[in-house]
Amino acid sequence: MTGACGACLRRSWLLAALSAGLAYQARDRERLLELLALGDEDLVQAIGGRRRSELQERYARFTPEEVRLTADVETICRHHRGYPRALTQMSDGAPRMLYVSGTAQRLAAQGSEPAVAIVGSRRATDYGMEMARSLARGLAASGVTVAGGLSDGIAVAALAGALEAGGRTLTVMDAGLDVACPARRRTLFQRARMTGCAVAELPCGARSRNWCYTARERIVTGLAELTIVVEADESPGELLGAHVAQALGRTVAAVPGRVTSPVSRGTHALLMEGAALVRGPEDALDLLYRGNPPRSVDAAGTPKRSSTKRQSQQLEPRLQMTLEQVGAGRDTPAKLTAGSADAGEVLLALSELEAMGLLTRGDGGRYVPRESLAGRAPL
Amino acid sequence: MLARAHTFTIEGLETRHVTVEVDIRPGLPAFTIVGLADAAVREARERVQAAILNSGYEFPGRRITANLAPGDVPKIGPGLDLALACAVLAASMQLPREPLESHVLFGELALDGTVRASQQGTLAVAQATLQAGLQTLVLAPERAREAGLIEGLEVAAVECLGSAVRVLGGGPADPLPKAPKANTTATDILGPDLSDVRGQHHAVRALIVAAAGAHNNLLSGPPGTGKTMLAQRIPSILPSLSRPEAIEVTRIHSIAGDLEGDLVSSRPFRAPHHSITAAGLIGGARRGWVGEVVLAHNGVLFLDELSEFARPALEALRQPLEDGRVAIVRARHSAVYPARFMLMAATNPCPCGYAGASGKCRCNEADLARHRRRLSGPLLDRIDLLVKLESEGALSADAAPLTSSRKAREQVMMARERQARRLGDEGVTVNAHMDARMLQRHVRLERRAEELLRKSQEQGLLSARGQHRVLRVARTIADLNGRERVRARDVGSALALRSEAQHAGSRAA
Repeated sequence: MTGACGACLRRSWLLAALSAGLAYQARDRERLLELLALGDEDLVQAIGGRRRSELQERYARFTPEEVRLTADVETICRHHRGYPRALTQMSDGAPRMLYVSGTAQRLAAQGSEPAVAIVGSRRATDYGMEMARSLARGLAASGVTVAGGLSDGIAVAALAGALEAGGRTLTVMDAGLDVACPARRRTLFQRARMTGCAVAELPCGARSRNWCYTARERIVTGLAELTIVVEADESPGELLGAHVAQALGRTVAAVPGRVTSPVSRGTHALLMEGAALVRGPEDALDLLYRGNPPRSVDAAGTPKRSSTKRQSQQLEPRLQMTLEQVGAGRDTPAKLTAGSADAGEVLLALSELEAMGLLTRGDGGRYVPRESLAGRAPL
Repeated sequence: MLARAHTFTIEGLETRHVTVEVDIRPGLPAFTIVGLADAAVREARERVQAAILNSGYEFPGRRITANLAPGDVPKIGPGLDLALACAVLAASMQLPREPLESHVLFGELALDGTVRASQQGTLAVAQATLQAGLQTLVLAPERAREAGLIEGLEVAAVECLGSAVRVLGGGPADPLPKAPKANTTATDILGPDLSDVRGQHHAVRALIVAAAGAHNNLLSGPPGTGKTMLAQRIPSILPSLSRPEAIEVTRIHSIAGDLEGDLVSSRPFRAPHHSITAAGLIGGARRGWVGEVVLAHNGVLFLDELSEFARPALEALRQPLEDGRVAIVRARHSAVYPARFMLMAATNPCPCGYAGASGKCRCNEADLARHRRRLSGPLLDRIDLLVKLESEGALSADAAPLTSSRKAREQVMMARERQARRLGDEGVTVNAHMDARMLQRHVRLERRAEELLRKSQEQGLLSARGQHRVLRVARTIADLNGRERVRARDVGSALALRSEAQHAGSRAA
């Protein structure tokens, strides 16, 4: 059921060999996606440059043994049944094969489940981080696979959220599996491989170059039925995931932010263009199943209420009021206590909400709600 | 002829009794000083000779040997001049020898024979004189008031060598210079006032808590929000020193040579620049050198731009923060100095300073991680309070100040009295110094408070040590509010003010 044929291995080897050439093309995203959809010979012709004949010769002499595999890395190609179905449904641009860490078998099992990609800014605000976390937590608890990269900001928050809920994750790396993980993410990466899968298109040892981000986003969004952008400014780099998903014809949704926040500009632009609006996991599940009940969610994976949700329904009025004030942007003790005669009571409410797991402290002493208020009854 | 005089030399914060023995015998004119004298003491030869001649006495043209006993103690500084000169005069029969046995002579001589006022460590010498059972301390008039702080000691001020000879001969001492303006009394507030701080009420409240319990604290906020301004106002709300504390502080500062006036009455406030080395901070660069932590004893040590301090310097703070003293051991000397201070630190929330202010921060994840790493660890572990300042608060220049230093200080004094009464038999005076055992004994939580604490722990917000810190601060808040029982709101406020190396919701996952 797993494994990769020689031709597909050769393709991944070729991509690594042509990495420098592809890096030249990385600025033009459309062209890069077209190039990645080309056949092997055409690709060498297109960007082989002066090394064309040398590459052709090495290509002809290629043997699968040339691809080095580290201990825990397996391969799977589109000619095997375990290859994710979502990728086979993609047009020509899909990767031919994947390197898998966290067993190819698990990847095959996950292939039949719906997946949601959570993408966004690398320099997200605390609000964005918490939204990504709670979205991923809710989706993972409902049995949906959470797909994403391992870059800073939203992607990492989403992965951490999904792992918190003990859900399935699919992490797509932009370089060889053995070199892709930055040192500061090693623990998270290990956890992600323990319970989920990490996949890469490039063979072990291949370094990341600028074209790899676009290539990775195409796999992330390709694997997912729904792509949710949590926070992104208007730069092409931050909206990369959304644009690739649109190019692939996948559904794109966005989480709104404050209109004054620069890192919400991109998401708001997407919403203006007609992207679906997502306020929380419930909205994402609605989009995913379009009103149809989940097909493949089994008993263990049925959407369940998290414990925090139950608590929030019995919140005392004063706590509910503080929580709503924080959500509305009065999010530091200084702001909250400014008009109040009794600073101690406000601080007490904040600490109680934090102890309940409804608030968390972010940078600069701000308090951030840990989940959206969308599903909660107003006071 | 042989003559002996008594004086003291300073070693670190300690004094060592030195007996100056002078022997004059026939031979080629020479003046030799033996007994581990440093350069300043050896130079005394020239000063003593000139001072004696210019005071109208005779400098014996014979072979003079001066021995500084005990021979194994290094003698530092020019304070031995007066004793040397008097011993030479006594050995050459220009002065009776007996009075020298009961007097301590401490002072540097000018070439014209006047006694200089610049002597360091006078208070320590005065204490030592009394302890050694010697009768009178002879020194410069400018220093006499400082020595007079020690009760039961006879102090004789002498302006010049001639006066010293007169005093030793049983004559009257010189008059003291006019006293400076009357001593600042306990109710006087020193330095800038809290009422200058407009807005930032949350931070001001937190600082009052810190001052009331002597809690180590960290001010964090974007540039220009008033971190330094707030820190500078802390001395104005701290209670003044008690008499024994004042003597201790005066002694330290007298030896360090930065004493102004006589008795120090306000708490020291030390704010070293962030380029300071570990040795500069804790001492020990050379024999007897005391660091900033010792100078901040019984006061405040303020470290502005905490993340810019060198790692070794910050690590060196661990022992004083834990034990209230520094033990310095070097190849040739070792010493233990008192260093119980309240640590105040200020820092930007990130390298660019604007983390948390929406969209303004330009730092990437790696920058933030590096910044956190510098701050985190053992030092942050000993910081009870995290005071967050924000730019919105600082903008309101027309906002009302929360309180004045006078009012805040009254609150602080009251809270400190409660603490002192409660902790009377525990050997500490403020909540910040309570250990786990004392916490158990003195922090009685209401049921709701206990529940809140337990829930926070379950949520993973508090480590065991973190819980202790929260309890200490909660105790202080209850003291400020005049309550013996710690209520949920006290614990809640303490939780909201706690410092954590890493927030659960921060960007690093």
